[in-house]
Amino acid sequence: MDPAMGMGLVALMGAAATVAGCSEDLESDIGSQSNPNSQVQLAAQVGYPHRIFNKAISGEPPSNAMYCAVGAGVAMVLMSESVMSASPLIAIAIGAFVAALLNGVFSTTSYLGRNASQTRFNQYVYLDVLRNQILSLMGHAYITTFCIVLISYVMWNQNLIGHPFPFPVIALIWGLCVGAIGSSTGDVHYGAEREFQDFKFGSGLNAADSGNITRFAEAGVRSSMDNAWFCSKFGGPVTGIAFGMVVFLDNWRSTAFSGWTAVVVGVVIVLVLVIYNRKVETYARKKYGPFPEYAGDIEA
Amino acid sequence: MTPEISIIGMLMGNLPSIIGIIIGGLCIAVGVHFVPVGGAPAAMAQATGIGTGTVQLAAGSGLTGLLAAGYMYMTLSAAGTPGISEIVLICATGAVGAMIMITVTMLVGNWVYIYGVGVPPASAKRDYDPITGDPQTPYVAAGTVGQGIPTVCFVSGAIGGLLGGLGGSLIYCMLMWVNGDPAISSIFAIGVFLVNAVLPSYNIQGTIEGFHDPKFKRLPKAILACFIASLLCGIIAVIIPSGAMLSGGA
Amino acid sequence: MSAGGPGGEAVTAETANQIDAKGIGIGLIGIYIAGISGIPYLAFLAGIGAIFATKMGADAVRRVCSYGIGTGVPSIGMLALGMGLISAMFGLAIGKMLGVVFIGPIVGLVLALVIGFVVGTLANKIIKLNIPVMERCLMEIAGAGVLVLTGLSVMIAGSMDFVVISKLVIETGYIAPVFILGALGILHPFNASLGPDETQDRTMVHALSCGAIAMVIGGVCSIAVIGPIAGIISTIIGLAIWYVTFMGFIKLVKRDAGAGYVGTGLLPPGAM
Repeated sequence: MDPAMGMGLVALMGAAATVAGCSEDLESDIGSQSNPNSQVQLAAQVGYPHRIFNKAISGEPPSNAMYCAVGAGVAMVLMSESVMSASPLIAIAIGAFVAALLNGVFSTTSYLGRNASQTRFNQYVYLDVLRNQILSLMGHAYITTFCIVLISYVMWNQNLIGHPFPFPVIALIWGLCVGAIGSSTGDVHYGAEREFQDFKFGSGLNAADSGNITRFAEAGVRSSMDNAWFCSKFGGPVTGIAFGMVVFLDNWRSTAFSGWTAVVVGVVIVLVLVIYNRKVETYARKKYGPFPEYAGDIEA
Repeated sequence: MTPEISIIGMLMGNLPSIIGIIIGGLCIAVGVHFVPVGGAPAAMAQATGIGTGTVQLAAGSGLTGLLAAGYMYMTLSAAGTPGISEIVLICATGAVGAMIMITVTMLVGNWVYIYGVGVPPASAKRDYDPITGDPQTPYVAAGTVGQGIPTVCFVSGAIGGLLGGLGGSLIYCMLMWVNGDPAISSIFAIGVFLVNAVLPSYNIQGTIEGFHDPKFKRLPKAILACFIASLLCGIIAVIIPSGAMLSGGA
Repeated sequence: MSAGGPGGEAVTAETANQIDAKGIGIGLIGIYIAGISGIPYLAFLAGIGAIFATKMGADAVRRVCSYGIGTGVPSIGMLALGMGLISAMFGLAIGKMLGVVFIGPIVGLVLALVIGFVVGTLANKIIKLNIPVMERCLMEIAGAGVLVLTGLSVMIAGSMDFVVISKLVIETGYIAPVFILGALGILHPFNASLGPDETQDRTMVHALSCGAIAMVIGGVCSIAVIGPIAGIISTIIGLAIWYVTFMGFIKLVKRDAGAGYVGTGLLPPGAM
């Protein structure tokens, strides 16, 4: 393959990955999926019933792996010659749509199931909460799935990159990866900041306040849609950057270089990231300083 | 169809592959112990480490490495079945792919902790960072056990990614030696990977800060458990030939 | 889990033995009819077997997770499905190698039970999780994993022959959605109903509906593999089962939520 074409594909994949990462994180923020979910689940038990969407679909990585694998599987069925030889874009769009439908079903059952299992704590099942958020969840899941299945298609297609793994397996792996990244980066913004926004900025959640999530908005009761509004300003985009960087850097080094050079370039990238992380860490320590409540005898 | 394929013969013939799969499984088990995961509390900036589950993160990074390794295997096998030196290169590619995934995740995670939540990264398991020597306890917020990913955890996580990617790629290469079919090998490598990632995560009860964490001393137990589990998986996996072999294609 | 249900044994109406018997019995019968008959229009029976196997796995997850295993619900299912995947393929391959195709699913099942027992023992004795039901539940989940994966693979390929499955299901990659939907079918029902008021019948109906979703997607995949008519039969039967069980689930949610099942409203009295 001509190198310019290769770099173009890598750039396209990086861009699609950035969009996928962002929408994946917002989807999990609206639904309170993954780890911040533990606080939403706890809230009713410690006496704070709420109107936040509460879903858990077996953890973020497996659920995203499911959407992507199903999307790719359906797209592959549509593209196969024995069915209709659909053009890849249409096939991927329909595959992503089916995946979004599955997201809707799984989200519905987990919202209904989880809230019905907390009846004794006065946690109601609000049907309007379900109706209002579900389309937004499905929409975000559609964007995520579409982008990731597209990346996988580009990797798998023999005329483009020609990866030896089957198409749905590649989609499964990227789905796991985006879920892992989303739950370790963007979700922290939701869990540590947005969920406890009425606490003072500049510290994590004090264990004594567990479950006391922010349930009221500027006016009225907070809905999960507002969480997407908040998280789309920081948590979502950085998740996108993270996933975009993973896809781009990993593919760039193997496209632009080959053999041991690619390995060395990868190691250099890792070292640069370690050093940059140290810079950011010292910046934060200088800027914020030690916590004033600290009473021990270790010099800061 | 060749029903005379003897199981014992296949086992003996594929002994190097079984050993490779066991080594790969052990790499994954050790790698899981290196990855700093804080589980659910870390997502609330309540504990040091990455705010997600061990298995998910190990699988996310290790399998990203597997993708890179699979591509490299294909490129190299164009010139014939890869030998030891090619396998080393493939495993290095996979290991670096996993390292990139995990370092990017940790770095962006730190952005969120620092810029989004407003906390300096700090470990609660040690008073001083073993690598940089920075004091940690004054920077731990009240009512929490640390937050973010300080340098020692970051380096530990990079090593964890390296081992995870290495293990996954090694298992893939060994399976490719046996059956030569990327589809079967990749899906099996995922299966073996998951088994070897979950058992150690029970060993650390879901959270660990890295190699400086006292829980790291439990490593031998996980190594023993994963040795037995990988041995079983390895024996089974090398007996399964590819469909093409069975239908007489190879 | 921090937000787990009541500690110790979960309350059960249908005993584990009954669910296991149904799961293994219907699972194997479905797979055998679909696999041996060779009639593609009967392939959907393997999918029905997979649905009951899903229920068996979901019940095992329910029992083991009521102890709190430290790393959340999903990990145990990934462990079991990892083992299940290897065992299922081994079973089918060994059947082919020995020239007796029909022993495949049973060999896979037995092997999964053995591996499940070994890994459960490792977790309890070496890693010292000390969960009394660990061995049995891991055996059940791994066994369910084998039946789900074999069942759906047989449904997609319309055959029990490893060469056919390997060519049509694994090399095309349809195994990926089957694998992850099987895993989610086993994990999701309990995870989605987590909480002290979780009831077994609601979780089990939900397991059936998740299994039906896997069957629908498997049916869609088999349109491209065995042919449109057989594929569409599986898809439509799957959709019908899904609709019935999903409505049953909603009904049980209404029953369990009681007065808390509201169209809209502010927070309950006393919480505003």
